[in-house]
Amino acid sequence: MAEPGTPTSANGTDARRARREGTHLLVRAGEYACALPLASVRRVVRALTVHPLPGAAGELEGLAEFGGEPLPVLNLARLVNASPGANPSYPVTVVVWVGPPESRETIGFTADAALEVVHVPPESVVAGDGGFLQGEAPVGGEVVRILNLESLGRDL
Amino acid sequence: MSVPHARGFLLLRRAGGVWGIANSAVDGLARSGEGYRIATGDGALMADEILGVVEDLAVRPPAPVVRRFWSEPSAGLAVHGALPLVVVDPSRPPAALRLEAEEGEMDEGRD
Repeated sequence: MAEPGTPTSANGTDARRARREGTHLLVRAGEYACALPLASVRRVVRALTVHPLPGAAGELEGLAEFGGEPLPVLNLARLVNASPGANPSYPVTVVVWVGPPESRETIGFTADAALEVVHVPPESVVAGDGGFLQGEAPVGGEVVRILNLESLGRDL
Repeated sequence: MSVPHARGFLLLRRAGGVWGIANSAVDGLARSGEGYRIATGDGALMADEILGVVEDLAVRPPAPVVRRFWSEPSAGLAVHGALPLVVVDPSRPPAALRLEAEEGEMDEGRD
């Protein structure tokens, strides 16, 4: 029998799941650092060539090719209302899954840099708009924006 | 110059985007000024450049995130080589391709 306070195997599983869900990739997008759930990040690549979609909203940069498939590429700085900075060349494309697990889709985010993998404890997150911006949390002396990628792929 | 009712897709560039239209929907293709005029059963479209004809495309429905930020109708998205493109629904072409978007700007005497 386990001692009081000793995690049972179920609690251990929960703890591992919580830690996994709190693990994020930190990326720079204009003036903000944004945290993307690591489980949703497929790859970080040098900026993909993007072909514009005339008439699209500013958030949608256009389409790129990734793995032989058309990849919608979104401007992460615009999505989080960040100032683009002095030289917005966005040298990195972060390829992620968005939408609910049963109907997820692959998209790319233009970004300034992929910074590091961090753990963001759920209790440290101050709630955001309940949508794409899940909230904000202090990480390494900076307030970062925690993003909910599941909300982005949902039909409006 | 025309590709009436052939198999496959006509690929073209317009307004910086790359587009595909089923050849079965194309009635004719002719030079028009600096670009091209594409006659379809539902009207006419404009192209800046004709990229070629491909036999087949794996057309995928536009993802929700695309529909969220781009409200134009389309038949889907595809890739040819490394070139991503929008496959046009000829009955509801996007504004960038519609001939009326050019009216007033074109010199209709040139062909």
